[in-house]
Amino acid sequence: MAIAKAERLMNLALCLMNTRRPLSKKELRESIEAYREAWQNSSEEAFNRMFERDKDDLRELGLVIDVDENALDGELGYLARADRNRLPEIALDAEEAAALTLAARVWQQAKMSGAASGALQKLRAAGIPFTETERRPALEPRIPAREAAFEPLLTAARDRRPVAFEYRKAGAAAVEQRTVEPWALECWRGHWYLAGWDRDREDARVFRLSRITGKVRARSGAFLGTVPEHVDVRATVAKFAGEGATATAVVRVRRGAGFPLRTKALTTRRADDSWDELEIPYGNGLGADLAEFGPDVLVVGPEELRADVIDRLRAVAGTAEGVRV
Amino acid sequence: MSNAIDQTRRMLSLVTYLRERPGAEVAEVARAFGISERELIADLNVLPMCGTSFRGGDLLDIDTDGERIWWHNVDDVAQPLRLAADEATALLVAARAVAGLPGLRAGDREALTRAVAKIENAAGESAEGSARVGVTFEAESHVFADIDRALSEGRRLWLRYYSHGRGGMTEREVDPIRLLTEGHTYLEAWCRTSEDHRMFRLDRVAEIKVLDVPADPPKREPRDLSGGLVNPSADDPEVVVEVSSGGRWVAEYYTHDRAEELPDGGLRITLRSADPTQLRPLALRLGRDGRIVSPPELAGQARAAALEALAHYGEGQV
Repeated sequence: MAIAKAERLMNLALCLMNTRRPLSKKELRESIEAYREAWQNSSEEAFNRMFERDKDDLRELGLVIDVDENALDGELGYLARADRNRLPEIALDAEEAAALTLAARVWQQAKMSGAASGALQKLRAAGIPFTETERRPALEPRIPAREAAFEPLLTAARDRRPVAFEYRKAGAAAVEQRTVEPWALECWRGHWYLAGWDRDREDARVFRLSRITGKVRARSGAFLGTVPEHVDVRATVAKFAGEGATATAVVRVRRGAGFPLRTKALTTRRADDSWDELEIPYGNGLGADLAEFGPDVLVVGPEELRADVIDRLRAVAGTAEGVRV
Repeated sequence: MSNAIDQTRRMLSLVTYLRERPGAEVAEVARAFGISERELIADLNVLPMCGTSFRGGDLLDIDTDGERIWWHNVDDVAQPLRLAADEATALLVAARAVAGLPGLRAGDREALTRAVAKIENAAGESAEGSARVGVTFEAESHVFADIDRALSEGRRLWLRYYSHGRGGMTEREVDPIRLLTEGHTYLEAWCRTSEDHRMFRLDRVAEIKVLDVPADPPKREPRDLSGGLVNPSADDPEVVVEVSSGGRWVAEYYTHDRAEELPDGGLRITLRSADPTQLRPLALRLGRDGRIVSPPELAGQARAAALEALAHYGEGQV
């Protein structure tokens, strides 16, 4: 049976951490059983591929592996220096450690959840106190990341690598090819967004991850533009979602109905026995929001909003022209 | 079973941990690492095959009797390791998001804020990437204090709650179970009025009272929420919606069984709802962008509601 990957990685890590001089690939092959097997049973090529992959995996796990001229035979050699891999002194009290433990649980995504636990394990190993609490926290925040594009985009943003993907804009019938330099990812209202430089449109753009179709492909080369110091994904998205509106609309709401409208009303007055008149912020998408309330809401103005809501209602009622019933 | 990467990550920390704690108890180590004892034993079976040189016989001499763990040839390799970029990012993004959570107890928030500063410092350049990932939870804290109190004192709550599906207010007594935040904050509770588990969105709670009655939710395992907080059950009735390209957002916002592409860039979406009539707001919202295919009652209700609304604008007749 082939030797398990975790065992192989562990052996490579221990060899690299324990040496004072760079070890050549040949030396590592001699020291680590799994490599010797791969080399004997398959080929030099198979061993090389395996070694390169393992080295990348260990680097992903945080190991700093230096590449040096090997003094012995002029070949390249590898080592993980103790001083470059040591966790700096850190002292957390029991309260701080407990708060971090709870925070580390919020990821609902396998890779991030694994990385957060890994960070805690390193801190525990370094002597950070661990106190067990059977008490369930009153509040359980969760960070979802069900979008397939999340992981590749996170890696690309970290490594500053351009990516290409197919994207379907809100309401668009067809998908478009985008080439983007990913800057930042932001989760808002449970959905993930990417901000970055769109190379074809030569402009900064925000993408919603759930609208990325198919695979995110890494492109070769580096970023062409500079990454801005501060990327405000949320402001862009919130504006699109109708927040931060400066205009207002006047609507009548049936008494006892329309609670969400009442909580954001700027003014509320009694219109007659069964209706209240509300002044509400008028941002993007308000027409659709108001149509949801059906006969419990009547738009007074502005006229374009009133027309938008009537148009929507006609479509549902089947009285609009050109609409299938 | 964990994958090879996570297992390697864990074993690297494990050797550091064991080095400082000769004779560590299996049960305690498993808890400290957040894994089962079985997973730990599996790690302990791998470690004796690892070392600095296979050929030289320089293997880790770690063994266990099932209760305690001994490492007989402790060496210096096992120093505390620096945090990887992804580890620092995962921990810092989570900690910052939680620290910004409305309704978090003040003491917890302060502890977390101090911890974040220390982690940033210790992580050094590994922490840089965490600035590129942000998570914001909604600020819906006006009823938080009462719910927190009801949870810690084990008391029943009275709610005046806005039902999105019915468009009106409902009054109900609920036994709180926990608060969950995923985008919005939800109270999971046993609703005594409907005798069922329900999720209540905090921004839809109009009024709240902590009752002088002990809460008594039925004991059961916490529900599996890996697919999302609001999940229809498999035996709920089916709803079929056809949308044009302008209505594709429905598939992003509603958990669904299927979404089939239509030739014009639209979708035919099949979803489930315990009570399809509660989807009336969706049907009204769709406008020109889609229509309810089934059940016909839902389509009929939406049409009737739209006609009634149009009558207020002076169109047609009710």
